[in-house]
Amino acid sequence: MFKELLNKINPSKLSRSFHTTTCLNEVRLLTRLRVVDNSEIGKRAMAEGKPPKVICVYNKQRVGYIGDRVMVAIKGQKKKGILVGLKQTQKVRVPKFDSNNVVLIDDNGTPLGNRIHVPIPTILRTILKERTHSKGADYTKLLAIATKFV
Amino acid sequence: MSFAIRRTTELIGATKWFLRRECRVLSTLPEKTEEPEKVVARKRSTGRRLFKNEAILESRHIYPEFLPDPNPKWRNSLREKLERADMLQRRSQIDIPEFYVGSILAVTISDPHAQSKTNRFVGICIERKGCGLRAEFTLRNVVDHQGVEVRYDLYDPTIQNIQVLRLEKRLDEKLFYLRDALPEYSTFPFDMDPEILPEGTPVPINPVQVKLKPRPWLERWERQDLKGVSNIEEHLKEKDRVRRELRKTPWEKYDLMKQYRKTIPIEDQNDIWDEVHNQLQQLQMAKKKTVRKRTFVTPKTQLA
Amino acid sequence: MANNLKILCTKLSKLRLDHIVTRSAVFTVKYRPPYWYQPKERVLSDEYLTQDNKKFIEEFINDRKNTQQELESPLVNGTFQISQQWNRSTRRVGLVARKIGNYPIWSKDGKKMQTTLLQVVDNHVIKYIPPEEFNPMKTTELKWREKRRLGCILVGSETIDPTTVTKDYTDLFSRVGMLPKKHLFRFMVSPEAALPTGTPLFASHFRVGDYIDVRAKTMDRGFQGVMKRWGFKGMPASHGVTKTHRRPGNIGAGGEKARVWPGTKMPGHMGNRWRTLRGVKILRINTKYNVIWTLGVAIPGETGAMCYLFDTVLPLRKLESSPPFPTYLPSNDELIEYYDECVHPFADRTLTFEET
Repeated sequence: MFKELLNKINPSKLSRSFHTTTCLNEVRLLTRLRVVDNSEIGKRAMAEGKPPKVICVYNKQRVGYIGDRVMVAIKGQKKKGILVGLKQTQKVRVPKFDSNNVVLIDDNGTPLGNRIHVPIPTILRTILKERTHSKGADYTKLLAIATKFV
Repeated sequence: MSFAIRRTTELIGATKWFLRRECRVLSTLPEKTEEPEKVVARKRSTGRRLFKNEAILESRHIYPEFLPDPNPKWRNSLREKLERADMLQRRSQIDIPEFYVGSILAVTISDPHAQSKTNRFVGICIERKGCGLRAEFTLRNVVDHQGVEVRYDLYDPTIQNIQVLRLEKRLDEKLFYLRDALPEYSTFPFDMDPEILPEGTPVPINPVQVKLKPRPWLERWERQDLKGVSNIEEHLKEKDRVRRELRKTPWEKYDLMKQYRKTIPIEDQNDIWDEVHNQLQQLQMAKKKTVRKRTFVTPKTQLA
Repeated sequence: MANNLKILCTKLSKLRLDHIVTRSAVFTVKYRPPYWYQPKERVLSDEYLTQDNKKFIEEFINDRKNTQQELESPLVNGTFQISQQWNRSTRRVGLVARKIGNYPIWSKDGKKMQTTLLQVVDNHVIKYIPPEEFNPMKTTELKWREKRRLGCILVGSETIDPTTVTKDYTDLFSRVGMLPKKHLFRFMVSPEAALPTGTPLFASHFRVGDYIDVRAKTMDRGFQGVMKRWGFKGMPASHGVTKTHRRPGNIGAGGEKARVWPGTKMPGHMGNRWRTLRGVKILRINTKYNVIWTLGVAIPGETGAMCYLFDTVLPLRKLESSPPFPTYLPSNDELIEYYDECVHPFADRTLTFEET
């Protein structure tokens, strides 16, 4: 059976498909993320095998970058989070992780857990400081609960 | 093409020399005294060429980014010269050591985002690409059970120090399969001590065969000719094996023009290394001196 | 109120915008070479010269080239007096450069910038044509008229062997006492910035941190479809679309004017057109090889193509202080490399950031 296949199909004539780009690993709508802090909801969701899915990326392009705020759906609830590590190829000197990591926060920017057990890129410090306004939410609180910077 | 021609002339010369030897043994005529000199002369000339070729061979593996992109559309001798001058200037400021894909490096950069303004990362080099000042390398490590990869520009002026903790080569040129391998193969402690090899030893090749995690994988590792992976076969199905056979391109290894297009011809390489060799040697000597100074520590005298 | 409106109108009319040649069937550009242009290429047949004669001819030509190189610039000699001063409305001569490639350079903030290298090879002023005698052929319909009259300077780059080109072309140069050049370009220049024949032009004619305009012929992309040429979106790749994935779609509307309008965007030849890139910043100059590093890689043309360089016309990036006028005079105390203040030279120490 395989010999027939080998004889029939010529590899050069195999391709009759559209051109597609390489796998970009972007974080957009309905992307599954990995919760990286020790909040109750997060731990339970990851343990059950139902990771949070992105419902909204707060960005003009609707594609997440490190430090972007996202709305995720966990265990039937809507929670906000901040992207803390991406699988996407990054610029030089910015670390790239093996999974898309998110830290859950509430509307004021206070994280729901009290420890992040995974390393965090240092570029977050600058990005979150820029995003924080005096009267709005303070996003830099999650830097306080981080254990390691990469 | 020139290396092909040179090989054939060498072959012809070798066969001629061999035939002459045989004929001398079989013939009844007395041996001529000229022949041994001719033989010696030819041997000496080949010896000199071999010596220069060996030096070139070394440099193109140690400093691969000095060779320009082989695409003839983008080649210009003056621009390459200026680029090499800039590269040497940067090398005079910081020591960019010899390393290969598979070596473990520790890179310290000055980071405006970090609190202490410096950032140190240790990892195994999985990729090295780019020519000239665009040369980049990627380091991979597993920190707190999270795989992290960082790309660096070799000639970035914010890099403060590149230290080789373990200098070795691997069986493959790119180690992207470590992303789908068990995490123990990519974990290296941040406080690893540098392993210094004795001077003059060749670069060791680590023959480790990595075990991959079960499918799904990020790429089709079975279709790439990887020598550093041990257990691809047990994760494959019949369909994959069939498709792999169909996708194989066994004619590629005979494609001389394809290889020629990817490489810089030996005459151009000679010119490049002639230009650059002296300064690189000087930098290496300076580095050796500093290393020797560092190892010798004067004992502190105790105050009475 | 009427007075203010008048002032506004006069200011707006003074804003200079160069011609933009449109690709339309109605206003086609008519190419007729100017009066001073002569055909350049000649058929090189095998002249049966002996080895000695060939050597002699080569030596003779090399001697002539060297003497031309060693000739002092007429500005230095004292044969030409620099009478006028530079002011903001003078236009001075430009340079003819060859694009030799790109490579990255880092700024003092640690940011990587891609730069293009432009090499100014052997530029000499061939001729100055004063505005009274200068009457160029009109390539586009004049939308507005320049009030001031500008002269023309012919600049040539890369001296070549006179035996490889036609006699008429060589005579163009020998009439003014120069060896023929490979490329001959012209620059519009105000009469104060006139230069004598034989003045060599160097890369230091521009200073580091200045903005220039680069005019060159874009890369020839051949016959291209409507998506690459005009940026049309095409049609979806699947969902029942039949045989129409990269086609233009509709090319006209119905009604009274039911015809295809001239100038409708369609597939055709793309590239190989003169385009000017405005406001390019100069980051670094090497005076030994006469190379200019410019920010960005959008210089039109492929590697090895020639381009015009001249002071920018953009109002916010124009020259404020006096540049080397009318051109740069080589001096003994010049450095080999000049860097812009934002550029980090490779010979400097590793960049570190201070703790705040």
